[in-house]
Amino acid sequence: MPRLSHPALLLVPLMGFMVLTYLVPFLGVAAWSVTLPEPGLGQYRAALTDPLVQSVFLRTFRVCLVVTVVTVCASYMVTLLWVRGSRMQRFLIELCILIPFWISVLTRAFGWLALLSNKGILNTWAQNLGFLTEPLTLVRNEFGVVVGMVHFLIPFAAFPLASAMRSVDERVLLAARGMGAGRGRVFAQVFVPMTWPGILGAALMVFVFSLGFFVTPAILGGGRSVMAAELIYLRIFQSPNWGLGAAISVILMVAVGGLLAVMMRQARPAGAK
Amino acid sequence: MNTHFENDQIEILADKARNGAISRRRFTQLAVALMGTAAVSLRGTPVLAASGELVFVNWGGDAITAYDSAYGAPFLAETGITVKQDGSGPSEGAIQAQFESGKPSWDIVDADPFSAQALGKKGMMEPIDYTVVDKTKTREGFGWEFAASSYFYSYIIAYDAKKYGDNPPKSMADFFDVEKFPGKRGMYKWGAGMWEALLMADGVAPADLYPLNIERAHKKLEGFKANVAGYWGGGAESQSMLMNGDASMVLVWSTRAKLLEQDSGGDISFTWEQGLIAPGSMAVIKGNPGGAEAAMKFIASAQDPAKQVVMFNMLAQGPANPATDALLPPEDTRYNPVDPANMAKQIPLNMDWYETNYGPALDAYLAIISA
Repeated sequence: MPRLSHPALLLVPLMGFMVLTYLVPFLGVAAWSVTLPEPGLGQYRAALTDPLVQSVFLRTFRVCLVVTVVTVCASYMVTLLWVRGSRMQRFLIELCILIPFWISVLTRAFGWLALLSNKGILNTWAQNLGFLTEPLTLVRNEFGVVVGMVHFLIPFAAFPLASAMRSVDERVLLAARGMGAGRGRVFAQVFVPMTWPGILGAALMVFVFSLGFFVTPAILGGGRSVMAAELIYLRIFQSPNWGLGAAISVILMVAVGGLLAVMMRQARPAGAK
Repeated sequence: MNTHFENDQIEILADKARNGAISRRRFTQLAVALMGTAAVSLRGTPVLAASGELVFVNWGGDAITAYDSAYGAPFLAETGITVKQDGSGPSEGAIQAQFESGKPSWDIVDADPFSAQALGKKGMMEPIDYTVVDKTKTREGFGWEFAASSYFYSYIIAYDAKKYGDNPPKSMADFFDVEKFPGKRGMYKWGAGMWEALLMADGVAPADLYPLNIERAHKKLEGFKANVAGYWGGGAESQSMLMNGDASMVLVWSTRAKLLEQDSGGDISFTWEQGLIAPGSMAVIKGNPGGAEAAMKFIASAQDPAKQVVMFNMLAQGPANPATDALLPPEDTRYNPVDPANMAKQIPLNMDWYETNYGPALDAYLAIISA
C-alpha cells in the first residue's frame, strides 16, 4: 500500500459531514436558546429553576447511572464467556448479542411489554406454577425502563469489552498462575485491571448513549418516566417553546461534555499501566 | 389588453418567487402593479398557487390509507389535483417549523383546533374561508377561525367487563373509585380530557367544568395516582394496557373502543357516560405550496357525508357533518361518539380553554405523574 503523506486527511470527509449535519444544526439550536423569544439568558434561568426540568434531569441521570452499572457488569460476564468460552458457547453468545442488535428498538420495547405485563408470559407462568398469587408489576415503571435499556445497550458494551479482553496477554495470566495465585485472584487482580480501559470505554459509551433514549422509556415507563429527550421533544413539538427546548438541549450537551472530559481523564492513567 | 404579456411577466415573477429570488409578498405586490388590484383579488395569485397538488399531513399508520381512500382519491377524480398523504404528525411545533422555514411543504394539516387557533393568531395559519367550507355541514358550536371541524373522538371509560360483570362503571366518579371498582387504572399521558374526568369525579358538575380548576384536578390526581398502572401516550398503548391486564379500567380514545371489544371477544367493554368529546380539525398553513384556494376546496370536499362514512368505517372517526349520522349502519351507531344518543351523555372539550391554558397545565400534570 502506498503511504500517505498526511494520513489525517482521510478524516476530512467524515469531519466535514459531522460539521455540516451535526455541528451547524447544533449551533443553530444554541443560538435559539439565547435569542428566542428575546435575546438573553432568560431561557437558561427558566430551565434551571423549572421544577419539571430539574426532576426530569435528576431522573435521567439516575436511570442512566443504574443502566450503565447493570449493563457493564452483565456485559462483562457475557463477554468473558464470548471471548474465552468453548466454540459452542462463543457461537451461542454471538447469536444472542447480534440478533437483538439488529431488531428495531420499538419491536423490542413491545416485546418486553408482552413478556413482563400482568398477563404476560412471566407472570402467567409464575402464577400457574404457584410462585406468585398476585402478578408482579414488572413494567410501566422504572424497573421496566431499566430492563429495556440494558437489553438494548448490552452489545454496545460487549464490543469494546471484547476487544479489551482479546488484547490481554495470555502469558501474564499464566505467569500469575505460576506465581501461585488462585483463579479468583488472577481474575480480580490481574485480568480485571488489565481490561479496565475497556470497562471505562464501555461505561462511557453506554452512559452517553442512554442519556438520549426516547422510545424505550416512553413505552416501558408507563408514561411516568419522562426523561430528558422526551422533555425536549415536548418543548419543541407538543407545547412549543423553542427557546426553552433549546436551552434544555444545550444544558444536556454541556453536562454530557463535562462528564466525558472527567471520565477521559480518569481513563488515561489506567490505560497507561 | 395585452394579457399574454402580463401573464408572461407574472409567470417570470412566479418563478422567481418559487425559487426564493423574491418574497411571496413582493410577488403579490408586483403582480398587483402589473395586473391591477381587482384582477389579483379576483384571480388570487393563480400562477404561483398552482403547484397542482396538495400535501395532507396526518398522524400516520392506518390514517394514511383511510384519508387517501375517503378524501384524497375522490378529490383527484373531481378536480385533477393530487393529494399526497404525509404521516409525519402535524404537532404544533412541527407546523410552526414548517411556517418559519419560509417555504412550507405542507398544505393541510390534521391538527387540534386549539393548536391551529394559537398558531393562526400568530399569523401562521390561513383563515378558513367559510364561503367555500360550508358551516351548515358542521355541528353547532364546532368551527373556528383557523380550523374547520373534520371529525370527532372521545375520551371514554373502557373496562374489563368480566371483572365488573353486572355492575359496570357508569361515571367518572366510578372510574376514580377503587373501593367499589377494585383494580388498576390507565390514563392519558398528555392530560387532555383527564382534568375534566378528575374534576367530575371530584364533584364538579359537567356544566361548571370550564374554566378548569387545575389545582383541584391535580389534588385529586395526587391522591389517586398510586392506583394508576400507567399513562398511555398512543392508542396502541392504551389498548395493550387492557389486553395485557395491566389495568382493568382505562380512559381511552373512542376510536379504540370497537377494536377493544372485537379483539377481546367482548371481555372488554366501554361506556359513553361522562365521556369527553374532542374535535379534530383541518387547517391550512399560511403560504402553503398548493395555494389556499385549493386547500379550502379540499376541506369542503371532505364535508361530503358519503366520504365521512368511509372515515367512520376505517378509523371510527365521529363524522363532522351531522347528515352523516343517518348513513351509518344501525348496528354501528353505538360506536359513533357524536351519535345523538351518545353525544347527550358526553361533554365537549372547550378549545378556547385549551388554546390559552394547555401548555402550563400539561407541565404541572407531567410533574405530578412523573414524580
